Amino acid sequence: MGVLVVLALVAIQPLVVTSQTTDSLQLRFGETIAMVHQAESAGATPSEIGALVALLNKALGLYWEALKVTAPDEAQRRAELVAQVDQILMTVENRAADLTALASQRSYTNKVLTYVWGVVAAVLGTILYVFAASFYQKYRIKRTFQMRVTRK
Amino acid sequence: MSVMSSQNRRTLIAVFVTLLVVCEMIAYVATTPRPREQFFQLYVLGAKRMAADYYPDNDTNIRLGVPIMWYLGVTDNMGTVQLVSIRVKIGNQTIKPPDDQQALESPAPVVTEFLRYLQDNETWEVPFVWSITDAIPVGGSTRILTLQINNETYQLQDCSASNGHNFRLIFELWTWQTDANAFEFGWMAGGEHRVAWLQVWFNMTSPRLA
Repeated sequence: MGVLVVLALVAIQPLVVTSQTTDSLQLRFGETIAMVHQAESAGATPSEIGALVALLNKALGLYWEALKVTAPDEAQRRAELVAQVDQILMTVENRAADLTALASQRSYTNKVLTYVWGVVAAVLGTILYVFAASFYQKYRIKRTFQMRVTRK
Repeated sequence: MSVMSSQNRRTLIAVFVTLLVVCEMIAYVATTPRPREQFFQLYVLGAKRMAADYYPDNDTNIRLGVPIMWYLGVTDNMGTVQLVSIRVKIGNQTIKPPDDQQALESPAPVVTEFLRYLQDNETWEVPFVWSITDAIPVGGSTRILTLQINNETYQLQDCSASNGHNFRLIFELWTWQTDANAFEFGWMAGGEHRVAWLQVWFNMTSPRLA
């Protein structure tokens, strides 16, 4: 009888473990989205974010599939699916972290360049003003010398 | 020897400073993201992907085993990636619908849910093919026992309606809240809790004989 109980416990254990694993996975899905948000706010492009979202949806599909695998003889399959989900989430987290650093640097450079272009535009505008003023002054002098004095 | 008079120099500096201020203001506006309204769209369309023809022959009285094709759709206009869940609930006339004012979900039982990560401005549309596969008369009412959605069969408990009239499928939009680390009904936008939900009514007046 005792042996039977031990055997039953051993048989149940993998199921209990995988159930806990899928629960923690659900939390990890939420944590991963926070990392994707960081990449977005750092200035990652929609196509870069799209690649992460595609991976996340793939993980979600596998997670959903793992939840449906409930038969005791399919515990191995379930564990494999959970491991795949874990692997994809890890990939997304790593890529999101890399993307955050890259996008942050890119956004900073773009911002600095935009402000520098502002200064350049102001300088060019001033030079244009000097030329325009000089041209106008020459025009006025020319007009003055072309004047004729007539007695009224 | 200076070619430029002090009057001209002052004018030149004034022009440069004015242009600099204007150009840097333009640069600031160009690099600052504009605030936008954050919202989701949730919709249910009929078999022809239109807001019509929800039932075969427009007959809201469903028969056992007759498949009904709809499309569920969500659009993310939150400006960020969102993890969304469309929860499908089944209820009758007496069960409370979701509360828009209090942002409370309906107490109706959840039949199934659809999960998806959505990018900003992305619309996700999923086919929703459902049929009532088993229903029995109990007293003066009809009890739905099993519902099939997208080839998955779901057992229902205590889902009955008087004379089989006024059953309804309720679709609620839930989103993952990173602060709470959980799904919540609706979403937060500008400090406000907003919700999106839909319901479609139907009758089941021809159950199998118990």
